[in-house]
Amino acid sequence: MLPLPAGGAPQLFFLAAVAALIGGLSAIERKGAFQLMLSRPIVLAPILGWGMGDAQGGLLLGIPLELLFLGGVNLGGSLPDNESLLAAAMTAAVIPAGLAARTGVDAPLAAVGLALLLPLAFFGRRLERASEARNTQLMEEALERAAGGDPDAARVNLRGLLLPFGAAAGICAVCVLVSPVLAFVRLKCRPAELSALEGAWHAVWAVAAACAVRAIRDPRAPALAAICAATVIAITLAIRGLS
Amino acid sequence: MAHPVRRVSTPTLARVFVRSLFLQAAWNPRGMQNLGFADAITPALRELYPEPAECAKAVARHLEFFNCHPYLAAAILGGAVHLEERVAGGQSPPEVVSSFKRALGPPFAALGDGFFWLALRPAAALLAAATEPFLGLGCIFVFLALYNAVHLPARVWLFATGYARGEGVVDAVRRAHLASGTALLKACGAALAGALAARGVLTAGFPDRPFHALLIASTMVLAWAILPRLGPTRAVYGGLLLGLALGARFV
Repeated sequence: MLPLPAGGAPQLFFLAAVAALIGGLSAIERKGAFQLMLSRPIVLAPILGWGMGDAQGGLLLGIPLELLFLGGVNLGGSLPDNESLLAAAMTAAVIPAGLAARTGVDAPLAAVGLALLLPLAFFGRRLERASEARNTQLMEEALERAAGGDPDAARVNLRGLLLPFGAAAGICAVCVLVSPVLAFVRLKCRPAELSALEGAWHAVWAVAAACAVRAIRDPRAPALAAICAATVIAITLAIRGLS
Repeated sequence: MAHPVRRVSTPTLARVFVRSLFLQAAWNPRGMQNLGFADAITPALRELYPEPAECAKAVARHLEFFNCHPYLAAAILGGAVHLEERVAGGQSPPEVVSSFKRALGPPFAALGDGFFWLALRPAAALLAAATEPFLGLGCIFVFLALYNAVHLPARVWLFATGYARGEGVVDAVRRAHLASGTALLKACGAALAGALAARGVLTAGFPDRPFHALLIASTMVLAWAILPRLGPTRAVYGGLLLGLALGARFV
């Protein structure tokens, strides 16, 4: 029998609905509307986590994801990996799994979740391309309507938000529904495997920090970062030594 | 024949601005932000051209290719409303609006990308991540407050200045010192990234695990060196595998 969060299957379906709504909204906020950065992993993961009952767990996932994708920029027609879809899906899968396993979000669970769901960032980019192709049809419709004398021809603009919303909502709901499998895997891990997964999460943090330095596109950035890192380590060690 | 200049009312300008927040709702590879731009300016065109057929013609003009940074586009949108008032009054030909949009789109896009995407956003996110050990969930508000305290007023100011000054918006944006702000934010971002890297090393190293700290520091340097070749996805999988292989010794 797969472990379920307190409240059983109805609670799981409720969490799926919450994840679908928040994940869908984040998909349209990311590019189509507002762009207040509510869909960045560092914000989205804790908000979604709060909606599902573990905001702190969301933050634990959100920060390394934010650092990993800090350098991804949508310049003109080029598309970066879809960090928002990954953050939403990973939070939707890992938080209910933590609730079901009664461990909360910990490093091993986060490492397994990331390993399984990382390809979603690439898949999200493909999805965005498909959405853009659909938007070209909307543009043609608008041109036709304007040529026919319709002054509200461009109102079809908002229909471009439907596909990203629907796709992200569906993916997040599915992630919640499969989260008991993740909880089952987590509970079956032996101490040596847990330790290995914890090491893997430390390594993800290391890669995330490297990505963050790379995200600052300035030739002086590596030197500045190295000096600052050395200073912080030296000060911390000095304070610890004194105390 | 020239008519007296028609003015767009303030509530309509507010509606244009609100619609500009959906500029990229139907971003497409052929027209890019054209549909969003045409949708945003429609309330102003409806007021300037009460005849539906004339208004539809004006909307069709705005369905031409348009691409800019979504925030800086507010300046062009404001300027386009300003110019449309002159076109509706017969003081300028419609081509003036197209030329204005075509001329300002690329340079404003470059300016906005450099400042908002490549400097302000990384710096705000890194500051939030660096303050997480002290503020916990409050770090989210650090990120949102810092970013949006700059972004939202900038968007409103750009739209208002574009509308008030038309082509003069170029001079106003030039005086906004975005370029010097970009350099400063990038330097802050680099320092914060270093602080975060130090946090990762220290977390792995305490208590009394200097070997682990050294291992994480080496992984960071290695990842930094190979990232351009590998890309983030492969680097993460590489990191996960390395961590798994060595992790059993972390107990």
